[in-house]
Amino acid sequence: MAKYAMAINLDRCQGCRACMEACKIENNTPQAVFWMYVFRTETGEFPDTKMSFMPRPCQHCNNPPCVKVCPVGARFRRGDGIVLTDADRCIGCRYCEVACPYGVNYYNWRTPTEAFAAYDVDFTDPEVEAVTGGVIPPYKNPDLDRPQGDEQRMTAGSAHSVGVMEKCTFCVHRVEKGLEPACAEVCPVHAIHFGDVEDPEGPLSTYLRERAGFQLLEELGTDPSVYYVGGGPPTAETREIERPLTEVQR
Amino acid sequence: MVDLTRRTFIKGSAAVAGGTLAAKRFLFGGFETVEPTNKLLLAQQIREDFVNTTCWIGKQDCGIVARRIDGRVVKLEGLDAHPKNKGTLCPKGVAQIAAVYDPQRVKTPLIRTNGKGGPGEFRAATWDEALELIASKVKPVLEEDPKLFLWQKGRSKAKVFYDTAFVKATGATKLGHGAYCSDAGYRALEYTLGTHAVLHPDFKHSKYILSWGWNITNAGGNKTCWITWPQQMLDAREKNGLKIVHLDPRLRSAGPFADKWVPIKPATDMAFALALCRELIALGHLDEPYLKTYTNSPELVGPDGLIVRGELPADAEEGDQPPALVWDLATGQAVPHAEAQDPALTGEFDVDGVPVKPAFQLFTEHVDPYTPEWASDITGIPADDIREIAAEFGENANIGASIVVDGVEIPYRPVGIMAYHMAQQELGFQTVRAMTMVSMLVGAPGAVGGQLSDFTWKIYKNYAKFENLKVEEGPYDFTLKNSKFFPINTGFPGIVAKVMQDPAKYEVEKLPKVAILHYVNPLTAFPSQKDFLDSYGKFEFVAVLSPWLSETADYFADVVLPTATMEKYEGPSSASDQYIDGKALRLPVMDPLFDSRGEIEIYIDLCEKLGVLYGEDGYIAQINKALPLEDEFALPLDEKPDVRDIFDRWSRMEGLEGGIEYFEKNGVWIKGEVAATKRYGYATDPPFKGALHRLYGESLLVAQRKQQELGADEVYWRDYTAFPTWRTPTFEQSPAEYDLTLISYHLVTHKQSRTSMIPLLTELSGKQRLDMNPETARRLGVGEGDEVVVESHNALTGETRQLRTVVALSEAFRPDVVGMPHHFGGWSPERNKGLGPSPNEIFYTGEGYMVCTADQSFHVKVRVLKG
Repeated sequence: MAKYAMAINLDRCQGCRACMEACKIENNTPQAVFWMYVFRTETGEFPDTKMSFMPRPCQHCNNPPCVKVCPVGARFRRGDGIVLTDADRCIGCRYCEVACPYGVNYYNWRTPTEAFAAYDVDFTDPEVEAVTGGVIPPYKNPDLDRPQGDEQRMTAGSAHSVGVMEKCTFCVHRVEKGLEPACAEVCPVHAIHFGDVEDPEGPLSTYLRERAGFQLLEELGTDPSVYYVGGGPPTAETREIERPLTEVQR
Repeated sequence: MVDLTRRTFIKGSAAVAGGTLAAKRFLFGGFETVEPTNKLLLAQQIREDFVNTTCWIGKQDCGIVARRIDGRVVKLEGLDAHPKNKGTLCPKGVAQIAAVYDPQRVKTPLIRTNGKGGPGEFRAATWDEALELIASKVKPVLEEDPKLFLWQKGRSKAKVFYDTAFVKATGATKLGHGAYCSDAGYRALEYTLGTHAVLHPDFKHSKYILSWGWNITNAGGNKTCWITWPQQMLDAREKNGLKIVHLDPRLRSAGPFADKWVPIKPATDMAFALALCRELIALGHLDEPYLKTYTNSPELVGPDGLIVRGELPADAEEGDQPPALVWDLATGQAVPHAEAQDPALTGEFDVDGVPVKPAFQLFTEHVDPYTPEWASDITGIPADDIREIAAEFGENANIGASIVVDGVEIPYRPVGIMAYHMAQQELGFQTVRAMTMVSMLVGAPGAVGGQLSDFTWKIYKNYAKFENLKVEEGPYDFTLKNSKFFPINTGFPGIVAKVMQDPAKYEVEKLPKVAILHYVNPLTAFPSQKDFLDSYGKFEFVAVLSPWLSETADYFADVVLPTATMEKYEGPSSASDQYIDGKALRLPVMDPLFDSRGEIEIYIDLCEKLGVLYGEDGYIAQINKALPLEDEFALPLDEKPDVRDIFDRWSRMEGLEGGIEYFEKNGVWIKGEVAATKRYGYATDPPFKGALHRLYGESLLVAQRKQQELGADEVYWRDYTAFPTWRTPTFEQSPAEYDLTLISYHLVTHKQSRTSMIPLLTELSGKQRLDMNPETARRLGVGEGDEVVVESHNALTGETRQLRTVVALSEAFRPDVVGMPHHFGGWSPERNKGLGPSPNEIFYTGEGYMVCTADQSFHVKVRVLKG
């Protein structure tokens, strides 16, 4: 069986956030929800300032703390390494959010209609509905509404429903179709690479072998499937700048 | 035991899942089902298809594949085969899907029902009624004087149909963005090298570049947008070890890709460039063969500042200039440049009793006072850093080296300059000229790894025109073409706004009467807002083409025509990444939403109503000429064309079997690699297409004298000098309490005003802010997120202007500079009101801030007060 992993090259990332946007459109996430998040940071003082950019999806840990704390088996790790949430099982206790050291979990406080209304765009406009058939958002991806993989569980995260946890799925619905995740697909500077690390001669294994890298919070023993090459991990001096709108608007 | 088949088992599981859902729905009051909200999605047979098209939101029309479900677009992805984006997209490209479905687009043609100059009230109209109304207002003006019909664009996505064919068919005055973008840089390159572009590196071979401004991580270059640009730059870093010296008061614009950050003071770039020139000469990093052969450096200049000329040859044509003379060291006499064996670059000579010097000798003397120490005081860069950069630039230039590309041996000078938006300052034209001279000294223009500008080395029509600048007596037309005010000027909206406010001051008798504003939103996009508020009300009639009710439409449109976004045919667009050439077309991803229409269709119908569609000089004939469509592919001049058919004919004429179906199937037509003999100026035949590079700007000096003769004020003529000459910019003369310089910059998530209409992009970029160094904030007693008032001061008029925004702290800023992205400031649609103001509200245009070739300044002195 394949073992999926991601390599993110920080020497190429330009911090443009195309991956964040592609994730949002592909996975229909509502306003202020970022399954993929790009940090723009600086350290040091003028004029010895340094800057860096770091995309942060779910790390899809091989030893995932979020899975261990889930009381209902909604959060699970597939045999191919993808860590998913079964929306039907999730009871919204948010233990996973507390257990995760990477801050990638989102709790849905709002209904999808409310959450999309926060963009201040009325997708229930009759003339838009005439074209979309009333789906919200109008670019709704039907793949998310299908059960995924051998388990046939609702893990692609279409729900965005009140009381359910959600996070990056490595675009499981795309992986099932043999496609790479939306963030890797879109990256304008080819900084994000996705593939099978069990295949020693595969492009991802080769890419990682040829470059020095690190895992985020390696010392915690979570063993992420996301490998960073180039750059370096954030330090205590790292300051975030240019946050996206992480607060709910309106 | 019940024998479950797999099929019924699955059904059974589904039933259990359904039970959970019902329970959850009960337990959470506001719960919305995880089931699809649309029954369409539940249908077993979902119709999925893919449409090839091009990006509509950005600058360079990247290749896109639109995924559709039952005819509804659900995702935009990059087209693998398109050279510009190679299967990727930027955030804007991805997010434009929200524009397609935006219910706040203008849905039908609108006709104004209230007075202009404030928030508009409109009623819905039919296309026929709206176009009739426009025609009834424009037609009389075309009959009186078509030049009084202004066609203004922000960015047009099919120049042949709009800028060329429509403007020619009507005889309108065309107005682009002028120096609100990089026009001063274009004019500088057209003047100096002859190419129509700003300085652009040859990334495939470049090893060292001097890079200005926000472009590296936010905007790309003038010919390739962000995506192509960073892809090539990153590849150059990995393959060639490219080093980037980044010159900007703000590090963020290059971020981690600045190998050396030079936090230069705003608008002092010319001083830096002149010091580099001085150092390169002092260090002997000079490509003498290039300077002697391909530039006017050896041409002899008399004490009057004019080039010494010989006799007109017998076969000269009318208007030809006598040949410029150089001092031939081989024969010890003055001979025409083309006949010299070894022209002198330095020294003083005697020609017919007159003491003369080669232009290069004068240049050496001109830059001699511009020492690194002198430049250090002005630019804020330590003199040693300037010396180091000059030395590195000179050494990396490998003067004398050559390399074989495509089997052709070409000079190899792997040092580039990226100065695209450096043009946007008071001394923009001469600053870009000065930076071009840095490149010229080492022979880098047109060399491999050196200075490219356009995809192929072509000489633009302005090169010849600029040999003799027309400076005429008034009255002038309302763009001040050939005037004593701006002898080089290709149409600048700031000029038109100023002229409309005070035509007598500019010796203008006739103002434009009617206008079509094609995707242009001066009220928020251009400095200064006040000038457009005070001028656009003077139009008798304004029609706006836009998908949204822009702020300009809100205040000034009599008619608004709703245009489609990605749902239309448009093009053809270049698919070139400067190494691989190609063409692409925008194909409709859906039928136009609402009652919107594609622009080409709109202009066809408008021209019909204006009576300029058919016949020899009509719009159809102009399309035939501009595309071009010839012979059996030409559109009949008496038949209303269908837009898809126009592109089908064009595709067939280009030799593509299947016509437009070729693009429907492949998305892009790859024409092949751009040959080295087309790309590199040295390798064209003749080299540089025969255009001599102008180190010495004789015609600028001649223009200055004519300006003086005609009584123009010093503010208009002082920068028309043969060599770039430093002076302190006007804005620096504001009183000392205006202690900070405000700059504006570009965000990668935005492009023009159309992206600000997309809330998904605002979500990524955040709202407006004032970037400030923490040291400055401490001094002012403000912190992150605090509200402040920013007050600007006009150094010439004493006028002050204010805006209110919030502080964002960054150590990546010079402490004497504050910055704001030049987006935002909109109020239409309503949801944009909370995003914050635009810096264009407190910049100035006009004298002191609109200078020389009408170079617009994006610098102003401000003071920041606690909100």
